[in-house]
Amino acid sequence: MKMKEKLLNLKNNKLFSRYKGILILLVLAVFFWGVFKILTPQNFGSWENLFSYMQTSLMYSVGACGFYFIIIMGLFDFSLGANIVLSGILACIFSYQFGYFGLIIAPIICGTLIGLINGFLYTRLKIPSIIVTIGLLLIYESLGSVIAGGKVQILDKQYQIFGSSPANILLAFFVFFLASVLLKYTKIGTYTYAIGSNEFIAKSMGINVNKYKIIAFMLLGFFAGVMSILAVSYGTSMAAATGMATMSRNFTPIMGCFFGVAFKKYGSPILAIVIGEFIITIIFNGFVAIGAPTTIQNVVTGAALLIIVALTARTVKGVIVK
Amino acid sequence: MSEVILRADSISKSFGITKAVKNVSMSFQKGEVRGLIGENGSGKSTFVSMLCGIYTIDRGQFYLNGEELKIRNQVEANNKGISIIVQEMGTLSGLTVAENIFLGHEDRFVKYGIKNTSSMIKEAERLLKQFGFDKINPTAMIDYYSFEERKLVEIVKATYFSPQIFVIDETTTALSKQGREELYKILNQIKSEGNTIIFISHDLLEVIKYADNISVFRDGELIDTVPSQNVEEDELKKLMVGRKLTSSYYRRDYGKPVSDEVVLSVRDVSVPGQIEDISFDLYKGEILGIGGISGAGMHELGKAICGASFYRKGKVILYNGTEINSISTAIKNGIAYASRDRDVESLVINDSIRNNICLPSLSDLMVRNIISDRALNKFAKDNADLINIKMEGINQFVSNLSGGNRQKVVLARWLGKNSDIIILDSPTRGIDVKVKADIYSILSDLKRKNKSIVIISEEMLELIGMSDRILILKKGRISGEFFRDKDLSEEDLIAKMV
Repeated sequence: MKMKEKLLNLKNNKLFSRYKGILILLVLAVFFWGVFKILTPQNFGSWENLFSYMQTSLMYSVGACGFYFIIIMGLFDFSLGANIVLSGILACIFSYQFGYFGLIIAPIICGTLIGLINGFLYTRLKIPSIIVTIGLLLIYESLGSVIAGGKVQILDKQYQIFGSSPANILLAFFVFFLASVLLKYTKIGTYTYAIGSNEFIAKSMGINVNKYKIIAFMLLGFFAGVMSILAVSYGTSMAAATGMATMSRNFTPIMGCFFGVAFKKYGSPILAIVIGEFIITIIFNGFVAIGAPTTIQNVVTGAALLIIVALTARTVKGVIVK
Repeated sequence: MSEVILRADSISKSFGITKAVKNVSMSFQKGEVRGLIGENGSGKSTFVSMLCGIYTIDRGQFYLNGEELKIRNQVEANNKGISIIVQEMGTLSGLTVAENIFLGHEDRFVKYGIKNTSSMIKEAERLLKQFGFDKINPTAMIDYYSFEERKLVEIVKATYFSPQIFVIDETTTALSKQGREELYKILNQIKSEGNTIIFISHDLLEVIKYADNISVFRDGELIDTVPSQNVEEDELKKLMVGRKLTSSYYRRDYGKPVSDEVVLSVRDVSVPGQIEDISFDLYKGEILGIGGISGAGMHELGKAICGASFYRKGKVILYNGTEINSISTAIKNGIAYASRDRDVESLVINDSIRNNICLPSLSDLMVRNIISDRALNKFAKDNADLINIKMEGINQFVSNLSGGNRQKVVLARWLGKNSDIIILDSPTRGIDVKVKADIYSILSDLKRKNKSIVIISEEMLELIGMSDRILILKKGRISGEFFRDKDLSEEDLIAKMV
């Protein structure tokens, strides 16, 4: 009798609810796919199309995984786009000298270093992370433009392996695996949630809050570095951008990240991020397929962000949101 | 039995201008259950919070086994064998039960940077079973569980490593009878292992039953420590309250009837988890006191009346039939509310006295939608002078005022608004005697002007001294009603509270 109860309990608590979250997301994905498939059956949603959507979405998911650590702590980082551009430019430059080694190591070091600077200044200056990262993103953008010297940096054909399957998929899944392990099997994961939940209690439990905040920024920087490898390989080039133009690169990863936050209660946020980004990519490509102008796409991006956040970030009543 | 395990040497702590703990020295024996009692704000929670590394100590020192105790946080306290169950929520949402139990102590499960989650869960499961809390699943998110179940998890978290000193801060009121029994069992077991327990509770009978010795706190000071064997509840109460208040700063009129004109009806008001099914009427020119121990729900009731509560059920109806469902309707209809958390919920601290006083009256001061500086200055000055706010001028920032004068700014604001119903939550909390007397005389004036006042307070004497009628809340329900009477004593009220 007790055994039976236990089994039931397990089913209710863990497995079922876990699959429930994933199930909802998969149903959403199929739904959006269906809608656009009906609207434009010819140029949308074949198996080849879907495979290509997925590869695009994997790139964004990598950045979203990094964002997750920051968002859960209640922080924010606007410099992700600038980080990707700067790291991507360095990736191109260093690949000429050191081949694949340069392509991989340079952006990862650059990305992580940017995360360290963000985190360090945020904890030292004691001003909101949004302001810190907006200030720094202008610096990173200018740095990228100086290094690139006004030229578009092109990735040589021989180093484009991460631009197509299976290398891009393998790299992305390695990162997802890493993020999952960090969340579930290290102190970093536990403390990330603890700090996000109640910083005061976390502090009185002896957690070095500032240290783990810096680690979270560094993780985002690391993931941004990996994302920039995928981005330059996929786009085969990287151009510097200034005047906050890199901000637009933030939004797709952020949107995916919010899927992770919303579905975290089902126990597998990283998987939710991956499927969530896939859904977003389907919507984008769907609009492209029906020939909607880019302005409409931007409207949809904005509206989707607001709707998703409004639906998922259902905070406790009375909490003041700024 | 006479081996001292813990000694406090002239411990002091202030929060801003409030001295929470004043020069407390005491020692605790090995294997002893020590009860700590005292009124709300007497400093007992602050005292143990310093022992457990939650607050820093301003002055003084703890000695554990003769050695200076140097701790900076709860985990370090745990490592020294000191643990606490706090009054509020001590578990973290968003983490699993197992993660909560071992928060800060993960290192024993970490190898090469990787946390062995399954062995942590197994260990948590073993502990939960050992404590008899099998119904709690270690892998589940803590959010799935009720406040009481989360308290049980905290008990496991605080005691699984058999601490030398175990502090229970006002936890029993949050527990059902069954939960209490569990806690008592654990308490006895820890004692039988020769360890020390510090037990804070408002339930005096409970303290007498389980404690060996009882220390009484009052106004941040240690008053006395008595053995529990032959002490009576009444004696303890006397020690807690201390002085028989003789000064005349309360109202002195008795026996004057209150009007039978109802100005506000509260009907079946509930806020889940806070207050339940509360109904009463407020009469014109009446001062209604509402009392209870902290956590009995009276603070939430104050918010519920003026529409500031979330998830409120039931109705609050004005004499003219208007239903009060939001703060703005409340203010429009002449209901004023001063929160217990003066600095956060009542005042804009970093703004001038003038702007704070004028805030709700701006629309009354406008002439054709334009606000003139002169009108604001005059309005603020008139109302501030009316109740003698001690200030350099109306443009002084509220943050530079003492607690008492801050409260006066709140009162001046509602006097200016000319509200008919004034709800004051803890109006004299943390305020010195002089300003207290001022506030009481303002309230008496208001009563004379036929305003209706609700005073929510944890200070019994204040309620007895000022109210025409007192409602006592216990566990979110009205448990007693008293009418103004010379012979009404604190004991009468306390009897209905616990």
